[in-house]
This record gives sequence, structure tokens and C-alpha cells, in this order.
Amino acid sequence: MATRIELKRVEKRYGAFDVIRGIDLEIKPGAFTVFVGPSGCGKSTLLRMIAGLETISDGDLLIDDERMNDVAAAKRGIAMVFQSYALYPHMSVYKNLAFGLETAGYPRAEVDRRVRAAAETLQITDYLQRKPRALSGGQRQRVAIGRSIVRDPRIFLFDEPLSNLDAELRVQMRVEISKMHERLGNTMIYVTHDQVEAMTMADQIVVLRGGKVMQVGSPLELYNAPANEFVAGFIGSPKMNFMPVKTEGDGVMLAGQRLQVGHALTAAPGTPLTLGIRPEHISVGGEGASLGDGRVELVEHLGGSTVLHVRPAGDRNALAVVLPGQQPCRTGDTVPMRVDPAKCHLFNPDGSALRH
Amino acid sequence: MAEQTLSRPAAARMRASPSRLGAAMRRNGAGYLFLAPWLLGFFLLTLGPALASLYLSFTDFDLLTTPEFIGAQNYVRMVTQDPKFAASMKVTLLYVLLSVPLKLAFALAVAMLLNRGMQGLPVYRAIFYLPSLLGTSVAIAVLWRQLFASDGLVNSLLAQIGIEGPSWISNPNYSLYTLVVLSVWQFGSPMIIFLAGLRQIPTDMYEAASLDGASPTRQFLRITLPLLSPVVFFNLVIQTIEAFKAFTPAFIISGGSGGPINSTLFYTLYLYQEAFGYFRMGYASALAWVLVIIIAIFTAISFLSTKYWVHHDD
Amino acid sequence: MTDASNNMPGLQPKHPRLTSTLRHALLIAVCFVMIYPILWMLSGSLRPPEELFGGDAGLVPSQVTISAYPDGWFGLQISFGRFFVNSLIIAVLSTIGNVLAASLVAYAFARLRFFGQRFWFALMLGTLMLPYHVTLIPQYVLFRSLDMVNTWWPLILPKYFAVDAFFIFLMVQFFRGIPRELDEAARMDGCSPWRIYWKIILPLSMPVLATAAIFSFIWTWEDFFGPLIYISEMRNYTVQLGLRSFIDSSGTSSWNELFAMSVLSLVPIFLIFLFFQRLLIEGIATTGMKR
Repeated sequence: MATRIELKRVEKRYGAFDVIRGIDLEIKPGAFTVFVGPSGCGKSTLLRMIAGLETISDGDLLIDDERMNDVAAAKRGIAMVFQSYALYPHMSVYKNLAFGLETAGYPRAEVDRRVRAAAETLQITDYLQRKPRALSGGQRQRVAIGRSIVRDPRIFLFDEPLSNLDAELRVQMRVEISKMHERLGNTMIYVTHDQVEAMTMADQIVVLRGGKVMQVGSPLELYNAPANEFVAGFIGSPKMNFMPVKTEGDGVMLAGQRLQVGHALTAAPGTPLTLGIRPEHISVGGEGASLGDGRVELVEHLGGSTVLHVRPAGDRNALAVVLPGQQPCRTGDTVPMRVDPAKCHLFNPDGSALRH
Repeated sequence: MAEQTLSRPAAARMRASPSRLGAAMRRNGAGYLFLAPWLLGFFLLTLGPALASLYLSFTDFDLLTTPEFIGAQNYVRMVTQDPKFAASMKVTLLYVLLSVPLKLAFALAVAMLLNRGMQGLPVYRAIFYLPSLLGTSVAIAVLWRQLFASDGLVNSLLAQIGIEGPSWISNPNYSLYTLVVLSVWQFGSPMIIFLAGLRQIPTDMYEAASLDGASPTRQFLRITLPLLSPVVFFNLVIQTIEAFKAFTPAFIISGGSGGPINSTLFYTLYLYQEAFGYFRMGYASALAWVLVIIIAIFTAISFLSTKYWVHHDD
Repeated sequence: MTDASNNMPGLQPKHPRLTSTLRHALLIAVCFVMIYPILWMLSGSLRPPEELFGGDAGLVPSQVTISAYPDGWFGLQISFGRFFVNSLIIAVLSTIGNVLAASLVAYAFARLRFFGQRFWFALMLGTLMLPYHVTLIPQYVLFRSLDMVNTWWPLILPKYFAVDAFFIFLMVQFFRGIPRELDEAARMDGCSPWRIYWKIILPLSMPVLATAAIFSFIWTWEDFFGPLIYISEMRNYTVQLGLRSFIDSSGTSSWNELFAMSVLSLVPIFLIFLFFQRLLIEGIATTGMKR
């Protein structure tokens, strides 16, 4: 049975500086959880608190219902892959893998068996006698993962492990880590600032900002029903378009036009709200409610899709529009924009989403 | 069920406090365990003795009988009726004020000559550094005594161009200067620090300056010196302290006397004579504390002066 | 020589080759002047005694004789062999003490967290500035009461208490450069602070340990003041004290022997310099410290 992690009102302070501000979180057994957020949001600190590398200022960390706040890092049954890999430069790959087991006092034969098994799985058997500096970035990454596997931990933690790799290797390692999770079934937590990594790998995403949890959910939940403006803007690329609107009956007024939104509005008429529409949900000349006409300012041909930057009539911000396939649009064209009202998001002035 | 979940954190916290304390103790414990050698040394061999010597400086102490408290008499005697104290102070200040600037100027000049990856730099650097490394050994003092003897190397060389040199070592007018030369001869280590500092100055600054038409002299005055000033300051403080502490060459060259006519009576040499020649340990302790105060004053002046000439990036 | 520096920092001299040649000529001249006295001493140790003084400033002896070496070696009641062995024992034991103690303390300062850390660190740096004269007399009284005067203990023991803050500072600087993630990985691997120190930090710090060891050895070898006040019996003398006695006991007639012994006393330092000069120079450049 995989391991369950629970955080209860966890806080971290450095002097007067709050880094983590009261986080309540349950990490499901066996899930691949990704902490994502902009830099400085506290995601790495939170991970390091779970690992035992940072003390917990307040609140409780429970692993399988056991309080772990004051348990030494090595006794929590956790392995961690570091951003810089943190391979011991003076030891061979073999020694790097064996070091933790030797420290724990495993018999030599057992150490050897485990090291060789891990090396086999990660296809690094040929490099076992080399020093880390003689390895490529990808090979180092594998050794770092191997070092976490040999100890047979309950939980794996990854701290931005792919950020030092080039784009191609990153995609490849992403797949390998996902496969490793499927094969082992352990609880894993993965920290990244890259929302694509988060979306592709996670069972459960935790979006953090300023030391607080903004939303927890599966990738599609976050995409379809962001709890607030921040998550809506953070998840999805290109970014969601935001427009200031005012309520008007059961719809909203956008630049003098009434837009019928797919759900009932209870707010008083004239309440300022923010309307959010994902670029891929805007169509040109299709069905749905009209967003008015706009002038194309820039066209980006991506092959599989086309991104338009369209400035609507009036003094409004340009909208990003993603159209499927290759479109014959040109800069300067005027296009009629439409949207399916059911795909519109509305946010209160405090940023929270108006629920359906 | 709900109640249980609610009460768990509180209970956990109560359970936790001793173990949390334990964790903090463990962390501090490890730190202090590793620190232990230094802590012991600091209290037993540095702080304790320093305080003890402060006390002894107010006593009459000959090492064999118990120290007798005599108030500030040692200090009073030093200032009012001890010509050797005045002489040693004069010699030492002269030595510091001459040798330190000369040594640093020489070090900087050679560092400038060596700068910017010129060919053979490691070899030059090594040769210039060698005297600093050998410097404090008795052998070098022996050599110096011989170089400047009346029939030594220096006078042999002077004789070849028709000058009859004086007896440098045994002439009180010159003896101190032989020690200054010895100090300047050991310019290697400040030079290495200057070289490291020069390497920190980005080349593009000079490129920009020469595009602006700045002459080399101007570049030196306006770019090199200001940017190097923190290093100059550092070298100045370190070398000043070292110069105050100089002992071996004066001891060997004067045969332990500080002569002729106290002309090489370094302060440290006088302190040694008082302590281990005449066993006036109380008086010697007072001398030591005066040395500390003088070094502190020099260091403080250097630090206070920094705002007028040391450049900072911020 | 000094005023030449003003012209040196120019980047585009008008005659690059000429300037470069001039520069080398100047540097070689300075080198020559600096090294000449040492060579003169070496040559003096190989001359017959009567030739040393008599207006010969050259380096080539009219006749080479190595007799000054054996004569000087056995020139005192106790041979220099004894002094060399004594110095070697003291220097080696001191070096071990310095490296061991300083690395432990530096590890605490650079890597561990404990109450009062900044305070102790500031104090430690403060002792760098403190002239040893202040502690000299009470230390002497202390060692005397422990009956250690005229033994090597007062010279060796303090090194095991990391009294010389220079070495701590040197190592703290180096340890701070080792990525902290390595310590953290080791902690995740179950290492205690001691095991991190022993298995991770020390093996990765060989360059700085070597630098500290070399400086420690050289400074102990060259130390004159310590042995001068603590060691009175000739059988316990260090090489430096032996040389001092040689000056006192011999007249001008045996200057060649004195030179021979002086040359020998410098040989260990010179050898270390020959093999490890890069480490020494880096050590000075990184800490900016010097004796």
C-alpha cells in the first residue's frame, strides 16, 4: 500500500519572513503530485520540509498518519532527486548508488545486488565505474534517479530535476519518470515551475503562490475549472485572456455589447467582474456569442495551429486566439470573434472564480 | 471520527515538544562538538591568557613569586622614566612607516608589470614569492647580516664602482634601513594578493577608457587604483600588523641586543628582553597591551580613513 | 623601478613588442636582484672560508669545497641531524593538529547551524588581529605550571586547539564553495554530521587541506620565537635555534659553515615551494592572508 502524506496548517518562517503560510494538503497514496508555481512561491521549501531538510516552523507533517516533524530526514523513508543532481563528485557511479545503503549498514552482497538492479533498470550499468564528471547530463540524471531507487523509499521527491537538461532530453526523461511511477506505484512529489511538465506528468497538481495553496486538482480540473484568476492564468498556454466586465441582468456587458454567459448571475447589476476566455476557445466566424470584431495585429504560424493577436474595437487589450490548423489570416485583417458561453470564466474582484 | 481528527494535531504537538527540543539540542550539540577544539583553545589559550596578561600588567611579577598589584605603575614608568621604551617605540614606528608603504608600492608596481596573462607569469610570480616564504627563517636573517656587513656583498659591489660603503649593520644610522630593505625584499605575498585583485577588474573597463582616449597614467589613477583600493586597504592592514610583530631579523642581526645603540630595538624585541631576559613579566605584559592598543589605533585609523579613499561597489 | 608602473597598464602600447621586451627585461632584472643574495649564500657555503670576504661579489668560487657542510653539521656539541629530526617531529605533529582541528571547526562554521554561530565566528576572526604577545606571558606561565617548559608540547599542543584562526578562515572559505546540495543528499542518504564531514567534505577539500598543511609545516619549521622562549636544552633544539647557537659560538672564520647550515635549513621549504607553489599562491590569493 502506497504512502499517504498529510500537511496540517504547515508554516515556515525565516525570522519575520513567512515563506509558507499555513498549508493544508493531502497527498493521495500512490499519486504523482506536482507542486507548481512561479519562483518564490515556496514550492521547493515545501518539498524540502517534507524531505526533512528544512525544519517546520508550525503545523504538522504526517506520513502514513505518523507525525514526522522532528524525525531525521533519512528516517522518513524518503528519497530525493536534486535539481543539480548532487552526485558526490569524488565517488564512482557505483559508490554514489551504494553510499546510502552502506551508511545504513546493509551487508555488502545486498548493496551490490541492489545497485546492480537499479543500474540495470536505468541502463547505466556500463558507467558504474566512472566518476560523475565523465557523464553527460542525461546520464547524471539517471544516476541521480538510481540513487533514489536503490534505497527502496516510501516516497520519491523531485526538485526541478529536469531544469538542467536540454529540451529533447527533458521530454525523454519526463516520459521515463512517468513510466517509473507507473512501474513502482510509489507516492511521488515533483516540483517544477513549468506548467507543461505539471500538466503532462501529474495525477494531482498543487498550484502555489506566495506560500499558499491556490488550488489542488487533476490537470483537467485545473484547466476546466480554475478556482481563481491566478490558476486560470497560470495553467494553459498561451495564457487565458482577461477582460474587465460589468454584470447586466443574467449576462455581462463587454465593450457596450451584452454577452450571455452560460450560467446564472446573482450579483447586482453593474458589479465589476473579470471575464476569462482561453485563446483556444475563441473562434473566428464560428458559432456562439459574439465578442465583436477585431483587427489582427500579429499572426504566429505554428503549423499545427495558428495564434492570432487580435485587437478588438474600442480601447481594449489585444486578445490571443488559437485557431486549429493553418489559417490564411494576415496582419490587418478584421475578424469576427465568437465564443461558446459555456467556456467563459468569471472572476470576482478578489480573484476567486464565480462557480457555475 | 471527526473528533479524533480534530484532536490529533493538538495531541501531536504536545507529544512533540520534548522531541522538538531534542532535535534542537542535537543540532546545537553537533555544532558545538565540532567547535569544541577551538572553543577550548579560545578560552584556555587566547581569552584567558589575554585577560590574565591584562591583570599582570598592573602587577610586579618575576615568574617565581606571586604577582604584586602595583596599580598603573608599569604604565607610568613606561611613559615617564623608560628611555628604552621610547627608543623601541620610535624604532618600531619608523620601521612600520617606512617598510609598509615601500613594500606595498613595490608589490603593486611588480603586480602591474605582471598583470594580464603575460608570458611566463607563473615563473615570475613564483620567484617573487620565494623570499616571502623564506623570509622569517633565521637563515635569511643570517644572510642579511652578512650582506650588509662591512666586508659583505653590498660593500663589495659598491667597491667595484668606487664607493666605500659604511658598515651598515654596526652603524646606528643605517642598521634599521637594512631591516627595511629585508622587509621590502619580501613583497611577494602582497603582490600575489594585488595580482588576484587586478584580475577582478574587468578588461572592458580599460577598453572603454582607451576608446575614450584616457592615457595609461589616467587609466591607472582613475580605474586601477580606485577599483583596487579595497585590496590595497586589506594589504595595508595586514602588513602593518605584521610589521609591528616583526622580531626574528632584528633579533638575529643585532645578536638579541637591539643594537647598535638601540637602533634595531624593535618593540617586540624589547618586550622579549623584559620578559625573558630580566623576567619583568608584569612590565612586559603592560608592554604587550600597549602594543595591542597601538595596533588597534592604527587599524582603526585605517578603517576610518576608508571612506575617503576606498572604493565600494554599492 | 616603482615609477615605471605608471606606464604599464596601457592596453594598446605604440610598440607592443618593444614594450613587452622591456617589460620582460625589467622583470628579469628584478628577479635577478632578488635571487642573487640566496645564490650568493649558496656559493658562499661552497667556498673556502678565507675567500668569502675579500671583495668577491661574484657567484663562482675559485675552488669548490663541500667541507663546510660536514664541518657545520657537527660544529656544535650536538649535530644538526638531531635538530633536523626535532624540527621535523614538531612540524609534522603541528601540521596534523592544525589541519585536523581547523577542518573540524571550519566545518562547524561553514555547514552546521547552532546557537551563537555568528558570535563565535566574529570572535574567531577577531583573534586573527590579536598579536600573540598579549597571550605570551600567561601562556608561558600556564605551560610552566604544567611542567612543559623545555619540552615540545608548548609548540605542538596549541595547534590541536585551532589557535591559529588563519587556517579556520582558509577552510571556511573553501567549504562554503562546496555545493550544499551534496550535504543534503548525504543527509537523505542517512549521514550524520560527522559522516558528512569525513566522507563528503574532507575528500572534496584535498586542495585546501594540502594548502593548510603546507603553510602549517613551513611556519612551524621557520618559527623562531616559540622555540626561543620555550626550549633551553640543546638536545631539544630546532634547526632555527641551532642556527642561532651557531652564530654565537662561531667567529667570522666559519661563516661558510654557517652559510652551509643556513642553506640546509632552507632546503625543506625550498622543496615544498618547488612542488606545491601553485597551492601556496592560490592559498594566499583566496584568503588574502599572509605572514
